[in-house]
Amino acid sequence: MDFKIRPARKEDCKDVSRMIMELAVFENMPDQVKISHEELERDGFCQNPFFECLIAEVPEEHKSKDGFTVVGYALYFYTYSTWKGRSVYLEDLYVMPEFRGNGIGKGLLSKVAEVGKEKQCVRLNLSVLDWNTSAREFYAAKGAQNLTESEGWHSIRFDKLNMENLAKEAPKD
Amino acid sequence: MDFSIRAANVEDCKDIARMITELAEYEKVTDQVKITQRDLEQDGFSKNPFFHGIIAEVPEQHKSKEGDGKTPTRYSTRQMQVFGCETAVASDKKWLYLCFLGKGIGKALMSKVAQLGLAAGCHQLNFTVLDWNKSSVDFYLHQGCTDVTTDMGYHYMSCKGEAMEHLAQP
Repeated sequence: MDFKIRPARKEDCKDVSRMIMELAVFENMPDQVKISHEELERDGFCQNPFFECLIAEVPEEHKSKDGFTVVGYALYFYTYSTWKGRSVYLEDLYVMPEFRGNGIGKGLLSKVAEVGKEKQCVRLNLSVLDWNTSAREFYAAKGAQNLTESEGWHSIRFDKLNMENLAKEAPKD
Repeated sequence: MDFSIRAANVEDCKDIARMITELAEYEKVTDQVKITQRDLEQDGFSKNPFFHGIIAEVPEQHKSKEGDGKTPTRYSTRQMQVFGCETAVASDKKWLYLCFLGKGIGKALMSKVAQLGLAAGCHQLNFTVLDWNKSSVDFYLHQGCTDVTTDMGYHYMSCKGEAMEHLAQP
């Protein structure tokens, strides 16, 4: 199937927002999605963007049954490892189910790695849910190591309420 | 003990590089540290920095035993990130000389990162910790965080070296 991978434009945020929700539904956590296309537009296309995004697009004649030509996305940002230096973190990779098996996921992942390499990143990191076998196998087949299993790394999170509690005790400047 | 928290500047990179190595020794992975003071200077203090840092500093009279006359510091690297549905701050590493533990410095650094993140519109603070590092795990849990690996099944994966090179080929 013919498809194109390109950087997302501000106008793509409605499609990206649609697919973020599709991915969240698949991950059984739709209630956790708190942002809409407006936040994506603000945060991804400002002077110092919080993320970058790639889109997978098919020609009009291959559009989805609901009429969409934007059928996949990869959303990522740059992080820093104090051991290795510049890194890229892949936050989301998603291809609509009816377009899977055509190399689109691989295309998106490769492009993120290529973009990261251009910025001299030496690592590509991501998180995957333990029950998501197809995703785990997909990444493992591309050479990703599971650092939770092999080295015991755990992901820790403070939500907004806990951040606010913590921040109250920050020393005065 | 009197201490102050401030933004790191480029001159702090030498101290930060030293403490990164000390933390790696503690985590038993010294051979994995590939970056240098120069990398930190370039990556943290250029036009589009890859990270921000804050420093905890004590007055001269409280300096550590080894210090060559310099006041030892603790640092925390902070990066602004978006997590799919929420804007987030991720913190990479913290390290504190043993003699300065128990003085509220770790808590002060974390609090400052949270404050800076909230000021920038962030809704999450994320980072990773080694499961055997009990004192760190206990410290973070005590501050109210969630272990999303244990509670939600998130596994942290990494593509590096040859695997990343191979992926990046068009």
